[in-house]
Amino acid sequence: MAKPLLEVRHLKKFFNVAAGTLHAVDDVTFTIEPGKTLGVVGESGCGKSTTGRAILRLLEPTSGEVIFDGVDVLKLNKKEMRKKRQEMQLIFQDPFSSLNPRMTVSETIEEPLKLSGMIPDKDQRFTRVLELMDRVGLAERLVNTYPHELDGGRRQRIGIARALATRPKFIVCDEPVSALDVSIQAQILNLMKQIQQDMGVTYMFITHDLSVVNHFSDDIAVMYLGRLVEKAPSEELFRRPLHPYTEALLSAIPLPRIHNRPERIILKGELSSPINPKPICRFANRCPYATDICRQEEPQLTEVAPNHFVACHHVKKQA
Amino acid sequence: MENTNTAAKREVISRKEFYKKFKKKSNAAEIWSRFLKNRTAVVGLIIFGIIVLLAIFAPLLVSYEEQAIKLDVYNRLQGPGNGHLFGTDEVGRDIFARIIYGARISLSVGISSVAVALLVGGILGSISGFYGGKIDDVIMRVMDVFLCLPDVLLALAIIATFGVSQINLVISIGLSFSPKFARIVRSAILTVRGSEYIEAARSIGAKDGHIILRYALVNCMGPIIVQVTLYVASAILTISGLSFLGLGIQAPTPEWGNMLASGRAFMRDEAYLVIAPGLAIFFTILSLNLLGDGLRDALDPRLKQ
Amino acid sequence: MEKENVKNTLEVKDLVVQYVSDNEIVHAVNGINMTIGEGKTLGLVGETGAGKTTTAMSILNLVAQPQGKIVSGEILLNGKDVLKMNHHDLRLMRGDQVAMIFQDPMTSLNPIKSVGEQIAEGLRIHQKLDKKDAMKRAAEVLELVGIPGSRAVEFPHQFSGGMKQRVVIAMALACRPNLLIADEATTALDVTIQAQILQLINELKKKYNMSMLIITHDLGIVAEVCDEVSIIYAGVVIEHGNLEDIFDHYYHPYTKGLFDSLPDIENRSAQLKPIKGLTPDPTNLPSGCPFHPRCEYCMEICKETRPKMRQLNDTHFVRCHLYDDTDERKL
Repeated sequence: MAKPLLEVRHLKKFFNVAAGTLHAVDDVTFTIEPGKTLGVVGESGCGKSTTGRAILRLLEPTSGEVIFDGVDVLKLNKKEMRKKRQEMQLIFQDPFSSLNPRMTVSETIEEPLKLSGMIPDKDQRFTRVLELMDRVGLAERLVNTYPHELDGGRRQRIGIARALATRPKFIVCDEPVSALDVSIQAQILNLMKQIQQDMGVTYMFITHDLSVVNHFSDDIAVMYLGRLVEKAPSEELFRRPLHPYTEALLSAIPLPRIHNRPERIILKGELSSPINPKPICRFANRCPYATDICRQEEPQLTEVAPNHFVACHHVKKQA
Repeated sequence: MENTNTAAKREVISRKEFYKKFKKKSNAAEIWSRFLKNRTAVVGLIIFGIIVLLAIFAPLLVSYEEQAIKLDVYNRLQGPGNGHLFGTDEVGRDIFARIIYGARISLSVGISSVAVALLVGGILGSISGFYGGKIDDVIMRVMDVFLCLPDVLLALAIIATFGVSQINLVISIGLSFSPKFARIVRSAILTVRGSEYIEAARSIGAKDGHIILRYALVNCMGPIIVQVTLYVASAILTISGLSFLGLGIQAPTPEWGNMLASGRAFMRDEAYLVIAPGLAIFFTILSLNLLGDGLRDALDPRLKQ
Repeated sequence: MEKENVKNTLEVKDLVVQYVSDNEIVHAVNGINMTIGEGKTLGLVGETGAGKTTTAMSILNLVAQPQGKIVSGEILLNGKDVLKMNHHDLRLMRGDQVAMIFQDPMTSLNPIKSVGEQIAEGLRIHQKLDKKDAMKRAAEVLELVGIPGSRAVEFPHQFSGGMKQRVVIAMALACRPNLLIADEATTALDVTIQAQILQLINELKKKYNMSMLIITHDLGIVAEVCDEVSIIYAGVVIEHGNLEDIFDHYYHPYTKGLFDSLPDIENRSAQLKPIKGLTPDPTNLPSGCPFHPRCEYCMEICKETRPKMRQLNDTHFVRCHLYDDTDERKL
């Protein structure tokens, strides 16, 4: 096993709200190896986006460690962090709201280069912008257009070029294709894969779309109400989901085919509140297998098979 | 789609050279062409241009000493026409001459005091809106206290302390307007503070000041520009109020506000005494408003075509 | 596509809708035909800007005024032309015979009225119930969609996202419409909640023999709830058939492209084959077949002539020059 590029240990992000403390990310631990993709899936409010932003310190984590390339980024001061950002980037979900409407395509892509001071020469910097546009498949005639003149797919390409500008090692992709049409979605996914092959970047791919995450990731982490409930290599997870929530989630994917449709596990109820959660299994109230222990103790993430981690009382007993 | 696999090196080329290839206009040219398409804004620009030109070239048109200052009681209260375009005032001075010389003061003091207010209020409001939390609370409570005082009172206090002069006038009006601008800028910033592109800017390592200027303020300029034009008008009226109290522009220096004030006594029979400066103020404000609207639209690339 | 002997809830014939602005015309819908039989569910599948929502709004005669204009066509709802109805008849028709569910439940709920009152409102208008009876019925309808009737007095903000969408469905169902239009009704929901809602829709369909028009971009949802599918591109139906026709024997290159763009859940290493290019600009549609600039099977004729709809069998139709003189599948 290669030395991980990113190690997240006991990461917590709590928010103080009127009703108490919202546990958005609650004790999340995982690693990502260089050049690999970790898919993070879960439903809205499970804390997957918050995890991504806490790692990049766009939200200040409550506690924990984020060791990137041997350095705990949570211990860096403001100036050091700004420098570190060149290596850790973010691609946003909404390719419109994440681009400054007053900046042209080339200005947007140039911005990180300008801020980092990597290429002080103006002309060289502009040439690098053109190269980046080539890289992500933006025609050079778009250089002086504004985001609102472009369609979603092209806007997302701008976002990708901006993230790539400083040659980062690690990119958090927060639902990068969910706002796009299927045919465009496939174009962008292929582009991101190609970039990974060429540049060896490491991705953390946050999504709610399980078929996309399966296609794109080497490992998948499933989150539920701020907790990491299961983590395994993609194939293993899809073949042998161990956590009851993962099982239900996988069975709920609407498959685009009419033969051998799998049996649906329809979960009852909806997410419970992440505010002041009790120290019990957070999935217990919707879980078809829940027993007394689930309502008394909080299960911990355990390695039940090589590289397969699950947080469930019942799986532990099976294994 | 565009080819995604050509990631080869390119030859170094400057932005300017490259844009030539596409016959693309520069940004400034584009803003100007968008502005020209807005007819009312162009009208505003023309009116404002005329007023400014009259102010600048006033010495070529009339004699300051002879026509705007010197008393000529034999020719007092002459109606418009008869060698005096707008007539003469209660001491026989040519109103047209006084209007165009007055424009110099009203415009420069009005605009520069709003500029002061925008600078002070803008900085405070930006900080307040962008950071929120305790800083916001402190700044805004202080601003609220000042907002409770009437503008004139505040300006009065400042002038009374530092003495009567044109600079002090600008500073006092500017400071007394600052809390209003702080509020306007703050609420404008709040509308864009949560935007993802602000977060994006942070994620590429931008400093806060840079984010406020290049990301936040540029995207919420609309209401600020409109307010600026309105407050220029308000500033001109405040000057006149202060002049009336003897703390603004001192007689006999012509200024629209004090012309209005002194003409008030004759308003019933000699209405032109107040109509002339009134119209001057009206057209200045109207043109600034039209200009402001046009500018706001022209600066927003989303409103193309 | 129409068969006159079956009783149809909805027939749309040669619908053309445009949006006119100062200097351009948006060709949103360019001759759509569709038929929904009694108790049948039609899926309308297409990408952003294909004209799905405009078609749905036209059925309610609710195309945004003044820019939007239904240029030509007929929309027969239970045999009556919606486009010839007067204001009064339209009002009676909306909500009573046709109901619509939108993507975002929050925009269709009034935040300052209890959900019961909102459901009751339609009943009072259309079924002339008094307030008490209407509220009673509202509670019953809520039970139907799996919400305790006692929650009828609660306000929208007290419900979660999935629950809100159930309330919206209850509102739509209250007057027992013949036709329910769902415009991306589950897109904003999480998969497990989406699964619940789709199950609910399937149950209700069976129970009331309702006709449905499901507008979606998700072929997975179509496979789940629809009987027939129309694939729509640039404002025209380019392929129509039952589920088997479309999922197992699609004929049109665009339909193929849609399927190839989707990741295969069984084979994670399979390459995605996206359709090249972009969806066409509806203000400036390509000549001939609107799909030709993106089509890998493009021929000379495709650039000039707009293909006609060809019937392949009882249920399957395709609009593509590849099949001008053959019924044989060429993909």
